[in-house]
Amino acid sequence: MSADGNAAGKPAPADPIESHVAALDATLHGPVRLKARMMAEVREGLTDATAARTAGGMPSEHAAREAVREFGTAKELAPGFQRELTVAQTRHTARAVALTAPFLIICWLLIWTSDHGPGWQQPGAARLLTLPLAVVAVAAAGAAAAALLGLAALAATGTLARRLPTPRRLPAAVAWSGTAVGIAMALATLTLGVTSALTADWPLLACAGALTAASHGVVATSARTCRRCARLPAR
Amino acid sequence: MKTDAVRGHLDGLLLAVLEPGPLHGYAVITAVQDRSGGVLELRTGTIYPALNRLERLGLLHSKWESVGERRRRCYELTDAGQRMLAGERTAWQEFTTAIGSVLNPDTAPAATRPAT
Repeated sequence: MSADGNAAGKPAPADPIESHVAALDATLHGPVRLKARMMAEVREGLTDATAARTAGGMPSEHAAREAVREFGTAKELAPGFQRELTVAQTRHTARAVALTAPFLIICWLLIWTSDHGPGWQQPGAARLLTLPLAVVAVAAAGAAAAALLGLAALAATGTLARRLPTPRRLPAAVAWSGTAVGIAMALATLTLGVTSALTADWPLLACAGALTAASHGVVATSARTCRRCARLPAR
Repeated sequence: MKTDAVRGHLDGLLLAVLEPGPLHGYAVITAVQDRSGGVLELRTGTIYPALNRLERLGLLHSKWESVGERRRRCYELTDAGQRMLAGERTAWQEFTTAIGSVLNPDTAPAATRPAT
């Protein structure tokens, strides 16, 4: 007998519970850990519901199909699950922006203070720094604004949501502000890289550039997932 | 009672069945059905995101517990959940009293009748 069929060559009937979990899993997007936890709970719940029916004398396959029917279809349930995943992803992105945005401000301070350091006494050094300072300053200002939005989003989706409804467009707003911060971090990384190649203070600036690049990776990845979640129907 | 009618009261129902002690997801479902005598109809799958939301709001706390070879996520009320449940009960009493006064004016409490 083949692994996926019986002796007559017919495909083995799929486990109704696993098929249902797989169908729901395929429609949902969001933080991997939370999604895995939700699917594990769904599987356990369906298994419990099946066991309760078989204990009453129902054949196991029929019991599993009844449990799945009572549970609701993937299409019916997906918006409810997706709503929670979207909020969780929004909080993840907001937290990432709020925690990494200070890096950009520190980078701006690094370049600013380097300008006045002993390695920057040569003629023309100040002019050389004008563009990187401006780029990183704009990026830092944008990141600071996005960080404030992120903190507001964390409050609005946390305990504050007991009394106030969460704005429907909040996930999209956080996703796009995270995207903007990701772009700003990429520009700041480039700027720091170029600046470090031209200065005597290069180890410090190169280190700041590496940290900004890592921050870009975290924020841009989270914002991309958040944009995808924000586009999906949620209830 | 239809699913849509139940949905607006789901938070209160879930908090109420968790008041006596921690329960896992399927036990929460059966507790709601048992307490309502099977009258309340709801898609059992809607319970899980609702429990997750209540936990996010700090009204529930959850953890995985092993029962034999199975692992189940068990939920219990937090202090904030207890306070929210008390508020839900008060709001429900006021609502049913007000609606009852309109639907059955003869049985309405005297204090609620307007002076003539």
